[in-house]
Amino acid sequence: MAAVPKEKPSRLDENRANFARYKEDVKKRGKPFYPYAMFHDTIMSLVVVCTIVGLAVIWKWSAFGPHHDPTHKGLLGPEVDPPADPGTTSFVPRPDWYFYFLFYLLRIFKWPESVFLGTVGVPTIALMLLIGLPFLDRRRERRISARPVAMVAAVLTIVSMGVLTWKGATAKEALASEVKADIPRWTSQENLPPAAHAGALLFATAGCTACHTYAGSGGSNLGAPDLTDIGSRNLGIQFQINHLKCPSCVNPGSPMPKFASLGDSRLHQLAVFLEASKGTH
Amino acid sequence: MEPEQPSPDTEQESLHEEPHLPPPTLWPIGFAIGIVVVLVGLVINPELISSIGGAIAIVFGLLWARDATAELRGHPIVVEPERRETREAGEGMTAPPADQQGVALPHVPETAVTRSRFLEGATLGLGGVIGGVITVPVAGFMVLPGFLSQKQHKVDLGPLEKFTQGQWYVATFVVDPTQGEVSRRTAFIRNNGPAADPKTKKSVPSFSIISNHCVHLGCPVQANGPTGSILGMPTVIEHTKNGRVKLDPVVPAGYGCPCHGGQYDVEGNRVAGPPVRALDRYAFEIDNGRLILLSIYSVSHVVGTGAQAKIYKYKDAGPGEHVDGPEQWLYPLNPPHH
Amino acid sequence: MAITRKPTKAQLRRQKMEELVMYPLDWLEERSGLVGGVRYFLFRNVPADINWMQTLGSAALTAFLVQAITGVILAMYYDPSAATDPATGKPVAWESIVNITDHLFMGWLVRGMHKWGASVFIILMFLHMGRVFLFGAYKYPRELNWIIGVLILVMGMMEGFTGYLLPWDQTAYWASVVGINLNGTAPFLGPWLAQFLRGGQEIGGETLTRFYSLHMLVIPGAIIALITLHLYLVIRLGVTSPPWSKDAAGREPVDEPSSARSGLTRPVPHAEPGGRQ
Repeated sequence: MAAVPKEKPSRLDENRANFARYKEDVKKRGKPFYPYAMFHDTIMSLVVVCTIVGLAVIWKWSAFGPHHDPTHKGLLGPEVDPPADPGTTSFVPRPDWYFYFLFYLLRIFKWPESVFLGTVGVPTIALMLLIGLPFLDRRRERRISARPVAMVAAVLTIVSMGVLTWKGATAKEALASEVKADIPRWTSQENLPPAAHAGALLFATAGCTACHTYAGSGGSNLGAPDLTDIGSRNLGIQFQINHLKCPSCVNPGSPMPKFASLGDSRLHQLAVFLEASKGTH
Repeated sequence: MEPEQPSPDTEQESLHEEPHLPPPTLWPIGFAIGIVVVLVGLVINPELISSIGGAIAIVFGLLWARDATAELRGHPIVVEPERRETREAGEGMTAPPADQQGVALPHVPETAVTRSRFLEGATLGLGGVIGGVITVPVAGFMVLPGFLSQKQHKVDLGPLEKFTQGQWYVATFVVDPTQGEVSRRTAFIRNNGPAADPKTKKSVPSFSIISNHCVHLGCPVQANGPTGSILGMPTVIEHTKNGRVKLDPVVPAGYGCPCHGGQYDVEGNRVAGPPVRALDRYAFEIDNGRLILLSIYSVSHVVGTGAQAKIYKYKDAGPGEHVDGPEQWLYPLNPPHH
Repeated sequence: MAITRKPTKAQLRRQKMEELVMYPLDWLEERSGLVGGVRYFLFRNVPADINWMQTLGSAALTAFLVQAITGVILAMYYDPSAATDPATGKPVAWESIVNITDHLFMGWLVRGMHKWGASVFIILMFLHMGRVFLFGAYKYPRELNWIIGVLILVMGMMEGFTGYLLPWDQTAYWASVVGINLNGTAPFLGPWLAQFLRGGQEIGGETLTRFYSLHMLVIPGAIIALITLHLYLVIRLGVTSPPWSKDAAGREPVDEPSSARSGLTRPVPHAEPGGRQ
């Protein structure tokens, strides 16, 4: 069929014609909102309300008991946290879960020069893209199979936000009181002798787990090695003491701080602990 | 003024065609006022006020009655009709005839300030003034108090003897007793022993007092090292005029922040992670043998340790703000601090 | 010609009942026009092929209403004061929350619903946003509605942020410290914005009352206004059919020369050659 040559309608005209067609279709073939669509809405709203009430009930019942004890966590966390203490040195701040992706973004932007990118730069750009979406994508096409860019962008966004949120949720910190609670587990898993206990306590409270992982505790930072089986390398007590006193003297370029201020007797205790850590069984 | 149809009420009554309307009159209002004054007077002062009220009521009542009975006495009653009568256009009108082209209004030059334009301008202008009068003080109230009246607080931490030389302490104290626990803060304090004051060359006590607020985003920084209970040293608790001061001995190899992995060395210099400068410090003075904390200042870096440390000081900046380097120009103007 | 029969007694009674019920509605309608508006909303047509996924928006609205109602109730018992109660040594705001949770009848339920309702509200908003994206329902003429929706999302998260501080416990306090300082790192105006939010140089009692005002009055007001606009646009512009629907409303005829980039074209059997529908 030969197309009649005519002036190509502008995008706006096509949009308007499309919308007019839509309205005609709805008028002719549509169903009334009430009761058809409203019924679906009502069912869904009921599900929502039941979910909210259910969560509240589970929160209460799983935290039943001495729930003013902050260590009693329950399934959904404790009902009451200790009151705000602006002078604390033993608390790990975390935002509400829906901010975890932003929180983890801040841990990714580790370089001081890039701080404002992580705090305001990236979120602002993301928000501008989100608001500007209808102006970035002006095509009329709505079929999923014909919108590859949109679908890829959506999948990437969802996956990255999901990963960031999950990583934010699982980010662990070497909080002294939390790490101290791991010592009994270390003792049994590593078969630590009683002589190593003092060193284990020092290891837990001196901030070592901020950079080193050990028997499932702590986090990896600045390239610090895992110390679970450091003792199996048989480096010797004296080596450990010398290294702790001045790590960059023993290992040039090491960012590990000097622990000489702990004093010789405590350094010896730490060295005993490290040498006794032959690995978990 | 004749009704189109006789109303059902007057159908039987009236023998004439005039409307049976009460004459217009305001005297009833005066009469009512008089009654009110009588009643008020009964409560307050029966003799005087009620008599005045009675007089008023009687006078207005007689006037009202005179008007009401005017019809009976044969005086004509004039009632303003409810509908406005149309008036024919005649002399005195200056509008041009409708069959001529143009608007049927007197000609006014474009630039003249017509009544409508003046009223528009006045409405918008006055509206703006009203808006300003309401908004500006209110907005000022909302915004300004957070920026004004920032007081400097002096914190009394107790006698110098409590701070063993060379020993670090985790000190928590209340900065402003009137605010209470909300202003509790923590600092890492070490008595560095006597040192020579660079200006006066006299021997003065030297302290390193490092704030525990991380300079990345303000999280509470922890000391990387065992504290009093593990060291076997007692925690000292004092009561000064600032309230309860707790001194916990600690042997730190540095400081670490639990939020995003920032690490500092013992003097507060940034070693790793996102912190943008060194930890802030407190200025201090010795008053009567007691350590008094003054205001906080920011530090870009520290060279050396203890009493010999060279501290590069800046005005107190918020967390995340660079104080040196090119990025300091991102924060050219800080809110006023004490 | 239809034979009109005399109406039965039952029919007459029914007619009388209807008149009785309709009388106040008609009275209201004549004087305000509101009843007509509600009727239009309820009985307007929507595409016949709409999907369960399209209930997420009204589900989010329900969650917001739950938040509003539980929030109002909680506000009757919560005390936004960071001062220390001299009798117990604990902050007053924290104590009021403990009071609500432990001592007041069903307080634990209302507080729990409010806390978890916030998370449900945000999840539903994200799901709804994803559904709208999937359906391409942000395209002409619904661009403005999308923008309003993004603003509602941002406002909702701000509402969560301001509300998080109110229990005045450790989690609340430190999360807010970091959040405010995050704003403070914005170039140029950041420190001013942070100090305005804090109500001073350090976070304290003024911060709590300020956040309470934002959480209770300012942000909910903004959200309600935006939701109203959002719903108005949904009613005015209509709801889209799912893009995969065979019978989508507004489907374009195949013979359009621009069908390469037009929406929702499917080979229509027996299409008229060269014709529009």
